[in-house]
Amino acid sequence: MKEYELFIGPQHPGITGNMMYHLWVDGDTVTKAECNVGYLHRGFEKLMESRLWMQNIPLVCRICVPEPDVNEAAYSMAVEQLMDWEIPDRAKYIRTIVLELARIAAYLMAIGSYAGSIGIYTLPQWSMGDRDYILDIFEQLTGARVYHIYIWPGGVRWDMPADLPRLIEKTLNYIEERLKLYDDVLFENRVFFDRAIGVGKIPCNKAIEWGVTGPNLRACGYGYDVRKLEPYAAYDEIDFDIVSYPDLGKFDAHEAGDVYTRMIIRRLEIEQSIAIIRQALKKMPESEHILKHPNWLRWKVPEGYAFARVESSKGEFGYFVVSDGGLKPVRVHVRGPSYTHGINVAEKLLQGANIADVSQILFSLDICPPDIER
Amino acid sequence: MGLHNGDKMMRYEEWSKLARKASKRSLWMVHFCTGCGAIEMPPVMTSRYDMERFGIAPMATPRQADVLLITGYLTVKTLRRVIQVYEQMQSPKYVIAFGSCTINGGMYWDSYNTIKHLEKYIPVDLYIAGCMPRPEGIINAFLELMKLIDEGKARGWERYQKYYDKYKENQRRVFNFEVKEEEKEEKEQKREKNEEH
Amino acid sequence: MKSIELLGKGEEMHGRAYIKLSADEIEESIKKLKENGFNHFVMLSCVDWLDKGKFELVYHMWNYEEKEHAMLSVDIDRNNDVMKSMSHLFPQIETYEREIHEMYGIKFEGNNRLTPFLLENWPHDPPMRKDFDSKKFVKQMYESIPFIEGDENEGI
Ligand code: SF4
Repeated sequence: MKEYELFIGPQHPGITGNMMYHLWVDGDTVTKAECNVGYLHRGFEKLMESRLWMQNIPLVCRICVPEPDVNEAAYSMAVEQLMDWEIPDRAKYIRTIVLELARIAAYLMAIGSYAGSIGIYTLPQWSMGDRDYILDIFEQLTGARVYHIYIWPGGVRWDMPADLPRLIEKTLNYIEERLKLYDDVLFENRVFFDRAIGVGKIPCNKAIEWGVTGPNLRACGYGYDVRKLEPYAAYDEIDFDIVSYPDLGKFDAHEAGDVYTRMIIRRLEIEQSIAIIRQALKKMPESEHILKHPNWLRWKVPEGYAFARVESSKGEFGYFVVSDGGLKPVRVHVRGPSYTHGINVAEKLLQGANIADVSQILFSLDICPPDIER
Repeated sequence: MGLHNGDKMMRYEEWSKLARKASKRSLWMVHFCTGCGAIEMPPVMTSRYDMERFGIAPMATPRQADVLLITGYLTVKTLRRVIQVYEQMQSPKYVIAFGSCTINGGMYWDSYNTIKHLEKYIPVDLYIAGCMPRPEGIINAFLELMKLIDEGKARGWERYQKYYDKYKENQRRVFNFEVKEEEKEEKEQKREKNEEH
Repeated sequence: MKSIELLGKGEEMHGRAYIKLSADEIEESIKKLKENGFNHFVMLSCVDWLDKGKFELVYHMWNYEEKEHAMLSVDIDRNNDVMKSMSHLFPQIETYEREIHEMYGIKFEGNNRLTPFLLENWPHDPPMRKDFDSKKFVKQMYESIPFIEGDENEGI
């Protein structure tokens, strides 16, 4: 049998963004895969070194396009660590709400594009439309649909409008209703079972060593979540569950770490996020929303090394910030969650997979190229 | 037969007018997400904003497509692929560029890896302003493009043919850019000085 | 903190252990931490201290059980930027080393996949070094290219 080389991407509908996989195939089995990234490399880390601490906020949100708020939160948290700031309680709750809304939006997008990759084209139409209602909330809250620039060092940019909780509640109810329809179309669909069970398995004993995080790790049976491990914002005051492998609620558990489990975990986490937002809305205290801040133009951050981590919909986001006590950071290094599962893990999972499964494996890992390349 | 040259020209004009009228109603765009503006494409394509009511649909292959969307900043590495895609498309073909990044570099004006002015490398028919244009803006741009096509003003592809050498020269310059020899020497001298210290 | 006890040195910095090591100790230390529960390798970052004439490599490791974060820091000389590769310990270190090799020019001995990663055909200095002036570079490279002349609506 002859071996062929295939190039998937960057211009290809079956790829998770502007990136490329180079496949060697034998028949229709992939024998080797190589990831090629860099199509979105803008040199963020270099740009950040030449901008003021505050000027970096509009930059960082562009690092992960489907879920920008985690970047603002992580960067702000790292700066707050260096400044030794304790943010006001109300800001903590508002941050929690914003981050969870962003998580739901990102999951809806991930589920929609996954469904598209196995040929169920109804779901992308629905989930993108539903995601838009969340973007509407953001628009009322922050003035922008995608990049919000709302979470700042020291709190949030402005207070939540008084009538917003009603809109959020309405949207959450709507999404809950819609999830039932999603179940009918995708999660309880025969096509999904036949395509996804047992495909693209991450070996569970290797998962941690390979650096898999987030929903992909929880699908392997480890209930690790940064929200519980190192609670940030108001997560330590809120009661919620971490969904992890054998415990899949109303869905059957099959094999650990495969495409099926990964998608079901995402589906179940939407419910958790909804619960978190409801609690946060109820518990939100009245107080200031931001600390009294210095003059942003002459703001110096004390010397030191800080690391902040945040759980995003794709995994663990980490910001390593180094300051020498000046007006600008010396170094900001971003750990994108896709860095591990988009390159090393995906290369290993694709080996031995069927060509038809390549795109569903990639979509079920939820790879986001901009956070690999920055 | 008995047709004069002038008549032929007339016919060509009329026919192309008719063709333009028809083609503006079925614009297919290449499925290529080049930058962060691509995140606003799914909402535009799907149920909420639904651009299929204007006859616009995504298309996987460049050869069947009419419109190339440049959704934001372009790195040099992507530009190479974009040019390949653009040259594969059949004329008439149109380019819509999203956001301030394609106009003058936007917030990446001092980034070492993004091209700043898209116009220098491929002809652009229409720009959408905004740092992440809204879906309404995108739809408006498509309607505007239809108007331009109808009036025969969207002729970027003809420009590309006419100034092909110049475009190629610019592309070659950005792909094979070398720091000038004198500066290299200058740098080496500096380095030597440093080592002496 | 556990990692400080294990390695016998280091300080606490904003709730995380910051441990300064020399280049020969690093492999042993990572191994030791890995055996003792620090099994999640978070990332490998590099800081360029131009005025001090050194690169600082920071290995971040995380312990899921103890909920502890350790930063192992190694200094290497800026003029002699060679480091031993750690990619046999965790597979994803390979990718981080590829990136640092490309962005800072540090050579990692023992990593045989130091191929171009994010940049393509990059003949210039490694861009993340502090002495790479990106504004000047932009002026030379992108601003020097002329616009195409001619009327906007002009066709053939
Ligand atoms: S204009 Fe703004 S949204 Fe568009 S690509 Fe540039 S930074 Fe991204």
